Amino acid sequence: MPRQFAYYPGCVAEFSSKELNATTKALAPLLDIELLPMPQATCCGAGDIAEAKPNLYLTLNVRILSEAEEMGADILTICNVCTLNLRRANKMVREDPRLLEQVNGELVNAGARPYRGTIDVTHLLWYLATEEGLSLLEQRGPKGLGGLRVAPYYGCQLLRPSSVMGFEDPDRPQSLERLITALGGEVADYDGKTRCCGFPIILAREEVALRESHVALAGARDAGAQAMVTPCPLCHLAMDAYQRKTEQLMGEEYAMPVLHLPQLIGLALGLPTQTMEFKRHFTSVDEVLQTVGA
Amino acid sequence: MASTTFRVFRFQPDSGDLESYHQDFSLDHEEKTTVLDALLRIQNEQDGTLAVRYSCRSAICGSCACKVNGKTVLACMTQVEEAKAESGSSTLQVDPIGNFAPIKDLVVDMTSFWEKFKAVKPYLIPDGPAPQKERLVPKAAMEKVAKESACILCAACYSECNSLAADPEFVGPAAFAWGYRFAADERDAQRKNRAKLYSGQHGIWDCTRCMFCNERCPKGVDPRDAIEKLGAIAFQEKVTKDKGARHAKAFLISMRTGGKLNEQLVGGLTDPVGGAFNAPLALRMLQKGKLPASPLTHRVKNRDQVTKLIKNVKETI
Repeated sequence: MPRQFAYYPGCVAEFSSKELNATTKALAPLLDIELLPMPQATCCGAGDIAEAKPNLYLTLNVRILSEAEEMGADILTICNVCTLNLRRANKMVREDPRLLEQVNGELVNAGARPYRGTIDVTHLLWYLATEEGLSLLEQRGPKGLGGLRVAPYYGCQLLRPSSVMGFEDPDRPQSLERLITALGGEVADYDGKTRCCGFPIILAREEVALRESHVALAGARDAGAQAMVTPCPLCHLAMDAYQRKTEQLMGEEYAMPVLHLPQLIGLALGLPTQTMEFKRHFTSVDEVLQTVGA
Repeated sequence: MASTTFRVFRFQPDSGDLESYHQDFSLDHEEKTTVLDALLRIQNEQDGTLAVRYSCRSAICGSCACKVNGKTVLACMTQVEEAKAESGSSTLQVDPIGNFAPIKDLVVDMTSFWEKFKAVKPYLIPDGPAPQKERLVPKAAMEKVAKESACILCAACYSECNSLAADPEFVGPAAFAWGYRFAADERDAQRKNRAKLYSGQHGIWDCTRCMFCNERCPKGVDPRDAIEKLGAIAFQEKVTKDKGARHAKAFLISMRTGGKLNEQLVGGLTDPVGGAFNAPLALRMLQKGKLPASPLTHRVKNRDQVTKLIKNVKETI
């Protein structure tokens, strides 16, 4: 019996980074996961709606949690930002019954279902990086990554604040490393793996954002990585789509393929490369495919 | 008793040596010794030239912030044995806080930090004549700024701020926590002016939301949350010209039109002028199918609920 999740891919994976959504959906049956669609779910608002209208931000996120509660399934995400926002809203109303009552009042007035506070929110990385998840991957008999040297890139919001996220030590995370190793890859370790990619301000303060992503890209390159892997589609956009701009600004070359986490797993499990839509990437992944024999 | 090797950052330009290096000191100490106590013992017993800034030893003055195995902490509230256990290392590397230039060993030049702190006007600016006795404030009103009032200006947040590392002019989390503490104080009459002051270049919209400040703050101030609340104040005061504010506004419009983020809309509304210079990137995004063909394609089921929430939910910041 597959584990059912209310699937919240987030807006970026549904639109800009469709390759992430497609790969996750193709991967799910191999991981014994059933992804239940959430047709009513809005955008989580990222940090943006929180910066403009915090009460609205909270209410919209609780409405998403409520839809999952009605479906009777915990939420699974594939985006750092969505994970933080949904977990943060969940924590706020679970810890403050008066706040939950106020938010539910708004939801009921708008014709939405009130939330009881029974839902958990997890990320695909967290689900797989446990002993149970790793043994699941082992059972699938991965054909492996052929020793591909991969730089883990966590980004920010899957790690911090740990009071909301709490899966692992935000200063010494190991979940991506565990997965890379379990899938037959080599870990290229570097300091920048927990720093910010700059994406939240890339449209408003492009140069500052690119200087931030440079730290991670240069770190991964200097650690001898053949590819980076990230659990966040926004980090992916910053590192992949904007990589050439960062190279131009910093006067350096990275030539760094950036993989979405499900793509790395898909490569190791032998998912067809066409399904994973690598053609949508800006930086070529041809050498990666060669190394893993895909 | 326990024994620890401290690998301490050394930089002593006054002695003519302009190169920094790390020096190891071995110390036998009590199980419950703090990093600050250990450093002071090294200074007293092994090398009197070691420069350390400290004052209260009680997590109040904020002077002794430093990096221990790469993580910014207050040395006076960090137990040596706990830090070793946390990092899984028997050696503790002690460095000066980040995003500052060292002056001598662990002492850094905090001039820019204080200048930015002063620039946010960290004091009450009430309107009208002063009352004869005092300005009374209801408890609930002060609770709104209770967290930010706990800031001790230790600069632990500033030390690891990713935006500051990329842009040294960024005002930074601590100063904005203080900014919010006064902007949200009901005795202050400068709410709109503060919103303008904090919204400029290198201001609140430059925060990249890396969340290090919330993670590192030893007093639970959550400076990132304060920056977020200052954004909400800017919106309430209609100070929304900055590209960062327009980006947030674009999210709201996007939510109103379909309930989901619309990248085309967000990009165009955030920076219509600068966006033109990004035409080659936009073209490649289109080629790769990373921009939607229409800004009106995304619609969630029961969108009327979202419309009602956008209309009805009142903000209380």
